[in-house]
Amino acid sequence: MTLSRRNLFQDKTRLALSVGGVALAVMLILVLNGFLDGMNRQITLYLDRSPGSIVIAQKGVNNLLGATSLLPSGIEYKVASIRGVEEVVPILSQFVILDLHDKKQPAYLVGYEPAEGGGPWEISSGLQPKRDREVVFDRVLAVRHGLRIGDTFELMGKDYTIVGLSNGTTSWMTSFFFVRKKAAEDLFSAPQATSFLLVTLSKDVEPREVLNRLNDLPGVNALTKKEMAINDLKLFAKVFSAPLKLMVAIAFLVGTMIVGMVIYTATVERQREYGVLKAIGAANRVLYQVVAVQALLAALTGALIGVLMAYGVSQGIMVARPQFLIVFDPSDVGRALLAGIGMALVAALFPARVVAGLAPAEVFRR
Amino acid sequence: MMRLAFRNLFQNKIRLAISVGGVALALLLILSLDAIFSGVEQRLTVYINQSGADVFVSQSGVRNMHMASSSMPASVEKKVKAVPGVESVTPILYLSNMVVVGDERNLAYIIGLPEKAVMGKPWKVSVGRDQPEEGEAIIDRNIADKSGVALGDEVEILGQDFEVVGLSEEMTSLVNSVAFISLNDFEALRGSPQVISFLLVKVSAGESPNTVAMRIEARVRDVTAQTRESFAGQERQVIKDMSTDVITIMNLIGFLIGLAVMALTVYTATLSRRAEYGVLKALGAHNGHLYRAVLAQALLSVAIGYALGLAFTMLLSDLIPRMGLSLILKVSGASMLKVSGVSLIIAAVSAVLPIKQISGLDPAMVFRGK
Repeated sequence: MTLSRRNLFQDKTRLALSVGGVALAVMLILVLNGFLDGMNRQITLYLDRSPGSIVIAQKGVNNLLGATSLLPSGIEYKVASIRGVEEVVPILSQFVILDLHDKKQPAYLVGYEPAEGGGPWEISSGLQPKRDREVVFDRVLAVRHGLRIGDTFELMGKDYTIVGLSNGTTSWMTSFFFVRKKAAEDLFSAPQATSFLLVTLSKDVEPREVLNRLNDLPGVNALTKKEMAINDLKLFAKVFSAPLKLMVAIAFLVGTMIVGMVIYTATVERQREYGVLKAIGAANRVLYQVVAVQALLAALTGALIGVLMAYGVSQGIMVARPQFLIVFDPSDVGRALLAGIGMALVAALFPARVVAGLAPAEVFRR
Repeated sequence: MMRLAFRNLFQNKIRLAISVGGVALALLLILSLDAIFSGVEQRLTVYINQSGADVFVSQSGVRNMHMASSSMPASVEKKVKAVPGVESVTPILYLSNMVVVGDERNLAYIIGLPEKAVMGKPWKVSVGRDQPEEGEAIIDRNIADKSGVALGDEVEILGQDFEVVGLSEEMTSLVNSVAFISLNDFEALRGSPQVISFLLVKVSAGESPNTVAMRIEARVRDVTAQTRESFAGQERQVIKDMSTDVITIMNLIGFLIGLAVMALTVYTATLSRRAEYGVLKALGAHNGHLYRAVLAQALLSVAIGYALGLAFTMLLSDLIPRMGLSLILKVSGASMLKVSGVSLIIAAVSAVLPIKQISGLDPAMVFRGK
């Protein structure tokens, strides 16, 4: 242990670079995972905060964000008459592209009836829309584009006035904004149209039974909010998981290479000393331990610093770009530390080979 | 000094492999992310570019297709046809939905095509027909292969079963694919007749698409008319604006990792040759010469790392589509230029530490065995 520590601490700059390299790699892994976790939370924002426990979509549609849904006309009344249904909230929603200051900003428009619900769950300032050309805008998106209450912006050829700003409706990919349902119907040239029904069940009913009854209605797909949230997550995971995994793999490889190189150079430079140790009877196992402990010390210190850096960097990113949510789960931190140990073990392989191949007699011939 | 740099670099093969490999991986991080987004941009505009239309007409204020919605009264078709310079018009219906095969659900642009459509059909059909009749669908071959669907099989779109009568090529991106059904089926399933999403316009011979687009906007109310190039440009802009922040963050992280690897390898290489540098100094070599040797070493490693990173990204961009994945990587000239710049900065900065080390080196120390 003392030998490992001495070998490692002898050259402070090299140690700092190796620890820094692992820290960067671990930070990258953590930030990427945190970004994915944050994105997952943002994806299910609306489903998490809107009323009801069941969502009714058009037949064949099982996502909120992935697909456009248009329910058969008059379905709202049929659903309301089903035994076990307490409340039905209709919304008309659709992705739209906003042109804000020459930047294209995808946003999810929700048309709702303020009296019935389904709109913003927390208004930080202003009011709910009372007229068709009024809108509650996401606060973070508004700040990013310098928009305030009373400002107008153009959407699909029509001008809308911001009358309220909402909290907790931000997402990296798409923020939510809210208009009256009638306004959405006009905008999409779809009078009386409804995309989804948010259904609240009466107490003391068996949700599965009501769900089955709802699914007997023609042209609809009824599912729990939890199921729909999982479907949305699956859809986005499909899109983002491949590039993200590629980047995490690169970060792991780079970290391993850095620790490997540092321990390798430290071992090669101390080759003579290792030879002497072998010559005086030290078993290969002892020397492997020396190498492995060095790798572990460097990697674990790097991993711990990486965790702290990831926290600092993610805070910085979220302040500079509030649309990003980076979430650290304790399990992510555990995984990052495990990645550090993994890097150390893989990295110790090369130097261990050097030590194993060392002939003690060589030392005395030099 | 160049030879010294070469020798220093190639003397320890493992260190060279690690340094070059580390830089290659860091640059791969930047290059591959750029390539992924460029691939998405390219694929998302394939339908527009290959539609055969010179001008796209949409609901006023709607300037692209991806994540957008456009609804116009069907009567707009007649009005646009009457505009001088318009040769033919094809109306299409469009929305984002799923192509469902068993448990497999694939996000797709669903296009409703009229009978005998002149424009807007799938541009490359490898098997079957390019025009769907009622109850029929054309889907992307990638999706069909992945889901085990062949011609004659059924897929579910908008909650209805359709028989697959054609398989189209090169329309799948990381995000979605494109599927075609008949306009009548689309209208029936959406329950909104007399509404169309986009009009694809062919201009008469000798007419400028730009002029015709302006004429359409001047003569038909509540529509936006754009040339194909401009419409595709707007589509690309959506992806660019969505990805800018992510790319910036990833580029910065890639840069830092590349820098850490390079700094470490050049530093350790210089450290292990400390005695030789001391001898060179004792023999009268100027600090400037030695600095150049260190810098050349860093530049060489980064150049090899860059070449490897680029080669690996190119290899990935070739291999990934063959593996049946919908991820398309397209390495652009702009991205290569950007990464070259990043590489140069990495090389220059990573040489700073070793240069400091050499400048403080006392030739006499070498002879004292330190």
